[in-house]
Amino acid sequence: MLSTVFWKRNLALAKLGVVTNLEYRFNFIIDAFVQPVLTVGIEVLLWLAIFKTAQTADIGGFGKQAYMAYAVWAPFIGRITISWMYESMMVEEVASGSINTILSRPISFFEYYLSQLLGYKLITTVFSLMVPLFASFYFDLPIFYSRLPLTLLLVIYYLILVHMMSFIISIMCFYLTRVRSFTLVKNLILYLLSGELIPIDLMPPFLEKLFLALPFSSGVYVPLAYLTGRGDFDLLMMGFRNVSYGIIVFGVVCYFGWKKGIREYTGVGA
Amino acid sequence: MNYVIETKNLGRVYKTYSKKEGLLNSFKGFYNREYIEKIALKNVNLKIEPGKIVGLIGSNGAGKTTLLKILSGLIFPTTGEARVLGYEPWARDNDFLRKISILLGQKNQLWWDITPRDSFSLLTKIYDLNEKHSRDRVDDLAHLLDCYHALDTQLRRLSLGERMKMEIIGSLLHSPQVLFLDEPTIGLDIVAQSNIRDFLEKYVKEFKPAIILTSHYMDDIAQLADQLLLISKGQIVYDGTVDHFMQTSDLTKKLIFRLKNSKEEHEKVFQPNELASALAEMTAAGEVTDLKIEEVDFEDVIHRFLEKESSTR
Repeated sequence: MLSTVFWKRNLALAKLGVVTNLEYRFNFIIDAFVQPVLTVGIEVLLWLAIFKTAQTADIGGFGKQAYMAYAVWAPFIGRITISWMYESMMVEEVASGSINTILSRPISFFEYYLSQLLGYKLITTVFSLMVPLFASFYFDLPIFYSRLPLTLLLVIYYLILVHMMSFIISIMCFYLTRVRSFTLVKNLILYLLSGELIPIDLMPPFLEKLFLALPFSSGVYVPLAYLTGRGDFDLLMMGFRNVSYGIIVFGVVCYFGWKKGIREYTGVGA
Repeated sequence: MNYVIETKNLGRVYKTYSKKEGLLNSFKGFYNREYIEKIALKNVNLKIEPGKIVGLIGSNGAGKTTLLKILSGLIFPTTGEARVLGYEPWARDNDFLRKISILLGQKNQLWWDITPRDSFSLLTKIYDLNEKHSRDRVDDLAHLLDCYHALDTQLRRLSLGERMKMEIIGSLLHSPQVLFLDEPTIGLDIVAQSNIRDFLEKYVKEFKPAIILTSHYMDDIAQLADQLLLISKGQIVYDGTVDHFMQTSDLTKKLIFRLKNSKEEHEKVFQPNELASALAEMTAAGEVTDLKIEEVDFEDVIHRFLEKESSTR
């Protein structure tokens, strides 16, 4: 009974995430298509330039087509596994006091935004991945299509961790009010740690080991390595494990951070 | 007597950053911040019975909204205790949240981008209400508030009055036992204010929730409140009925008159038992061409009372 209520409530919130974002269709198109397409353009040009100047057919054991596949998919997966929009909404809720609406209802701030984020990301995934899928077919890029479901499952699982990071940033708002710079720094660090910028297997061995041990590599590198054949099933499983550890650690931070932060809340602006 | 709301020595202190004027002080504040403490509430002791409408009045910054926020569980108090329906509000137990509602007149509580009907459907799921019962309740409340026609229009496209009516429906959907209304008629025209007041009056008679109402429009309080709470500088300075307050207050009246060959309006403030002497004084001033006596109204009395309280604290 309790679980039915839980699912009904969260499905309704996920639907809200979809409906409100489709309402602002240009914002949706830019977020889901334009930004990743521009990033794909930059990364493809970068890898073409590298292969042209390197005078070699392989880099790190992989050919040009493998890097093209990575460059075409990484920005799209990267867009899915980053939550700038919902994070800014959460931060704004705390800073402006509009979080009162959620605090006075029998639903948690965490759950309220997680469901909306997942709803929105699901619709973004369905629409935006059409582009790399089409490009992969058209240019015959080395993609293991049968691996796509598990790849996406890891990406969706990783979103819980993404949401926890956003939650922690928004908790900081209880103390600091303006935390936009934290979001920028966090996203920049994730750009590197997730492997969106450079495949992690190209890093020096020490960094490669370190980055792979962190859960953030499961945001882009691990799912993409599995999809493009740079990594195997074991790597994917390691990704699931790392995300699980990350969820536990970040979950503890979220729990205690919220308990302490909410005591500082002054309900500004109302 | 079982009280729905009980507080004991409730207090709240806000710590705020104090920055002096100028660029130099901005630099100083960058590494060395001065914080000041502001007492928003001090030793508030309240007892509120079920089914009563309590009017909470005070000037800006007196502590009204802080008190509502503590009692609805939005913020923690610095000192004291409070029980609302037997719960400690700031623990924000889900059972407690299902029994209360807070409506902040200056904030949207429904979703901006969807229709009110969609918002109510979402609230039905959040509060785990029976869907059919909830739909019927929305229809009934919308008819009562005369806003049925606006249920399927996106919230952001509605007028302020229609939006407030929708907010009221949203806050009543789960039949709360305690309702906190912070300025529910703010910014509305006189007709809309009156409609909402009439609706609240009927609603309370029928469903008997306890309501704490803050408003800058004294007509709201005069028409609706069973109990009056006056708050000044964070302290309750009056707790009693509106009638008792009026009977024990300074009920001075105002004689406004105009003298022959003068465009100026003269005023004479007097106590009700001083009418004869006030009239004598007026006629002694010259030939009177126009005259009216202004009755004291509730708003005047409240303002005078709060001004007096504020200057003595």
